[in-house]
Amino acid sequence: MIKSRKESRRWIKRVWQHKMFYFFMLPGLIWFFIFSYVPLYGIQVAFRDYTFSGGFTGSPWAGLKYFQQFFNYYQSGDIIRNTVVISLLKLLIGFPMPIILALLLNEVRKIRFKKTIQTLSYLPYFVSWIVVVTLMQRLLTPYGGPVNELLGAFGADPIQFLNNPTWFYQIIVGSEIWKNIGWNSIIFMAAIAGIDQQLYEAAKIDGAGRYRQMWHVTLPGIRNVAIILFILAVGNLMSAGYEQLLLLNGPATASIGSVLDVHAINSGIREGRLSYAAAVGLFQSVIGLILILTVNRIARKISDVSLF
Amino acid sequence: MTKIWHKGAAALIATVLLGGLLAGCTGSGSDNRQDGDSYKLKVLHNWNGSTGSDQGITPIEEVIREKTGITIEWEYTKGSEAEKVNTIFATQDLPDIYTGPAWGGELDGIIKAANEGQLVDISDKLANYPNLQKSIAKENVPPALYEKAFDAFDGKQYLLLQNQPATNEDGMDWLYGFYVRKDIAEAVGVDPQSVVTKDDFYQFLRKIKDANLQENGQPVFPLGGFSNGWAVGIGNTMFFGSNYVDRGDGNLEHVFFRQEYEEYTLFYRKLIEEGLLDPEVFTQTDPIAKEKINQGRIAVLAAHYPAILDASKEYVTANPGSDYIPLGPLDRAGAAPDRPVDLAIQGNNVTAITKNCQGECVDKALELLDFLASDEGFLLTRYGVEGVHWEMVDGTPKPVQEWFDKFAEDASGKERKNVGIGIGLESLTGLDRINSAAGGDIWADQKRTEAMENARAILRPNGIQVISAYNPGDVITKSPDWEMLKPSLDRTGDAWTEAVFAKSDEAALRILNDLRDQMKKTGYDNAMEYVNENLKGKEVVTLQMPN
Repeated sequence: MIKSRKESRRWIKRVWQHKMFYFFMLPGLIWFFIFSYVPLYGIQVAFRDYTFSGGFTGSPWAGLKYFQQFFNYYQSGDIIRNTVVISLLKLLIGFPMPIILALLLNEVRKIRFKKTIQTLSYLPYFVSWIVVVTLMQRLLTPYGGPVNELLGAFGADPIQFLNNPTWFYQIIVGSEIWKNIGWNSIIFMAAIAGIDQQLYEAAKIDGAGRYRQMWHVTLPGIRNVAIILFILAVGNLMSAGYEQLLLLNGPATASIGSVLDVHAINSGIREGRLSYAAAVGLFQSVIGLILILTVNRIARKISDVSLF
Repeated sequence: MTKIWHKGAAALIATVLLGGLLAGCTGSGSDNRQDGDSYKLKVLHNWNGSTGSDQGITPIEEVIREKTGITIEWEYTKGSEAEKVNTIFATQDLPDIYTGPAWGGELDGIIKAANEGQLVDISDKLANYPNLQKSIAKENVPPALYEKAFDAFDGKQYLLLQNQPATNEDGMDWLYGFYVRKDIAEAVGVDPQSVVTKDDFYQFLRKIKDANLQENGQPVFPLGGFSNGWAVGIGNTMFFGSNYVDRGDGNLEHVFFRQEYEEYTLFYRKLIEEGLLDPEVFTQTDPIAKEKINQGRIAVLAAHYPAILDASKEYVTANPGSDYIPLGPLDRAGAAPDRPVDLAIQGNNVTAITKNCQGECVDKALELLDFLASDEGFLLTRYGVEGVHWEMVDGTPKPVQEWFDKFAEDASGKERKNVGIGIGLESLTGLDRINSAAGGDIWADQKRTEAMENARAILRPNGIQVISAYNPGDVITKSPDWEMLKPSLDRTGDAWTEAVFAKSDEAALRILNDLRDQMKKTGYDNAMEYVNENLKGKEVVTLQMPN
């Protein structure tokens, strides 16, 4: 008892000593509390027959009715498959890209050039999907779009890039990478900046060139950050990106482009089936949690790096 | 010293941002309804794309304020109306008065809201508001709609209906159809009126395609439409008469299960496959659709005629002789050649007072709605302020020339909106009596009226008849299986477009069959049994053209 009181005093003292750091954390914690923990209270809607008058707590209980409805829905299998396929493609192709960009930028010695490239690569992140998709429609249309004009100049036939199953995955993954590569590279740039410069000097003394320094110093230096981000990214495997898919999926690509996020939003907002939408959303989250726990465990076993 | 200033400025910015965040989190509230001498009411005009004046309160609204003591604060919808209905009730961000479409998911959402105590029951107050009472009298509402939305709450009354024609002469026929550019029809040497059958239609589009027409270096699409595919699908009337078809034994079934529906789907699939239908039509936005029309890149347009006249105005002015003129009239499945065109001309708008408005607010809202539904309100909202924008000459409204010219010259419609015409007030004016009580639209320009009359003469050689029969689509929503069936039935439109883009005819039919199975699994048979049971001995809609 005395020991634990002592410990808690020590803990408070320690916190007080670093109060400024904790103070900086405060907005983030408040944000998480308001936007990630408070809404958890709404999860119960998935188990209730939501009514406007009853709200979250007054609507009658419905048990697993809406989960059953989802699994009995004739396209639920296709929708889950599409979500996983698109997410996996984004993860496998999209995840290494910011690392590669960070590594390349790290090798650039002209500071002004480096800063310009960094700024240009960050910009798309701040452009909303609706603008990106409108631009893509204009650029990629086979009827006077500059991309097809260019292809035409080389004698190629015009290509219907959008609403075309042949080009669907390339467009989805490509636009995702283009939009996020710069922003996602920031954390790797920061990790690279934190690598002890003496390691590079030691490598140089041992005769390592730029490529070997990158391979033996930089990459191991950002390994832990990469693993943690990978674990978090796997948690999003059941979420393929709502806005992007809502805007880029068309009737011709529906069989491979209908995903859980869009299905949940359409059911909830367009059709007014809020409990059903909550059930679909909860299903996504639970699978995401299971994936995170699994990958975290695997990562801990094989690399000693894990989230918790 | 500089550091202190920096710190101070940073603290100030942080405070402002945090304050803004917190202010954003709080509801707007409707407690402060007094606006000077007038009472403020928030009206949600739930029609996608509707807008108001960009110059504050309009002269028409000023007259309304003088007459009723009420100031209207508008909210307009941008996006899906059905989504808006669901969102306002789910988030409880409610207006005082809701007004929006009297059909589809929007109406279902409003009925759900009524059943769940979100709307104000006005049954005990209606007697004091004769104009409102008249607008929802049984004889003024189509029977199935009456049962579904007005006589549906155990004597309570939540909804008002607007814009249903007061007399036959007030019925608005929007002249939906396929319209071809006159110069293109001449270029391919086809008389638009000779296109009558499905095959004629296909061959006509083929001829346009084969002519390899170009505009500004871009190919001309034989067939196109507006945003999200509106309304290229109206060729369905060549395949079936209405959404519910007699199976031959006196019982109805949904046309989605019929062979005709498959033929309709495969016909459109052929149009896509052969490049006769703009492949972007189902995914394009409104600006892109209108840009194509303005560039002269659509040969045949499917929509209602007013939309086509508006969208093509610029191109036609720059290229005389390129007007869109009606094709056909095309064959109507199941209709005798001399049969008048069957149109559902019913109120297009429902209005309700939400629970956000209580006590005095309800009386104020009803006063406002009753005034707008009066003849005086009707003329004010359609024509503007008497003595300023129009005058009564021998009992007939006549436009003031200066305003007529202003409105005619303004293609954007902004001049009208700044007066208060077309800002949503017209949705609240009770029965439509534009011809019977208001002498016809005084702002309609001569050319447009002539074009409409010409199209009417071609497309309605036997006139029209207003549908008064029961619509099974309204009855099925009362079936006990409706909640389960609705999500599947709502998917028929999406499944159709997906089938149209399928890789093969077999794949297209597979898409239809998969949804048919799902509909069966979610209670379709029981729901249809309910419909057939309830419609026994009643006249049912079996032929209906879009309107």
